[in-house]
Amino acid sequence: MEEYKGKIRLILRQYPYKYRDYSHIAAEAVLAAGDQGKYWEMHDILLKKSPKLDRESLISYAAELELDMKRFTNDLDTMKHLDIIKRDIALAEALDLYNTPTIFINGRKVIGNRPYEYIKKIIDEELQHAEK
Amino acid sequence: MKITIRIALIFLLLSVLAFADITRFDVPLGDSPQLGPPNALITMIEFLDFQ
Repeated sequence: MEEYKGKIRLILRQYPYKYRDYSHIAAEAVLAAGDQGKYWEMHDILLKKSPKLDRESLISYAAELELDMKRFTNDLDTMKHLDIIKRDIALAEALDLYNTPTIFINGRKVIGNRPYEYIKKIIDEELQHAEK
Repeated sequence: MKITIRIALIFLLLSVLAFADITRFDVPLGDSPQLGPPNALITMIEFLDFQ
C-alpha cells in the first residue's frame, strides 16, 4: 500500500472469533501495546506470528518491543480492553459480519482475504471518482 | 466525430450511474487505532482477528 501513501486512512477494529483459543487475548495484546505507543508494531508481529498467539508468546513479543512488561502483563491478565473489544464485536455483529478480515473501503464491503489486485482495483476506482 | 463524442458521453454516464449504484455501508470511525491522514481520499476500516 506504499504506493497510496497519504491517500489512505486505515482504521482497525477488533473482531476476535469467539471459538478460537487465542483470538481474544491477541486483541487484548495489540490494544495493550497500543497503550504504550506500539500498536502497529505489535499488529505486524501478530500477523507474522499467527497462530502462535498464546499468552507466553504474546508476552515474548511484548518483550521484543521493549514494552513495560509489568503493565503489559497486567493489562493482558485483567482484560483491560474488554469493553473496547466488546464494542467492536457489537458493531461487527450489527453490520452482520461473519468473516475476517472484512474491510470497508469508503463503505464498500470486501469480505475475506482477497488478492492485492482485487483491493487495488477498488481503491483505484474510489480515487478516480474522488479526484474528478 | 459527433458520434464519437456522443458514445464517450454515454459511457461516462453509464460509469457514473454504475458507481452511484454501489452499496455502501456507513461504518462509524470511532476512536480505533488509525494509520494515515484523517483527510485521506480513501478510508479503509478493517475488522480483523489475528488468529
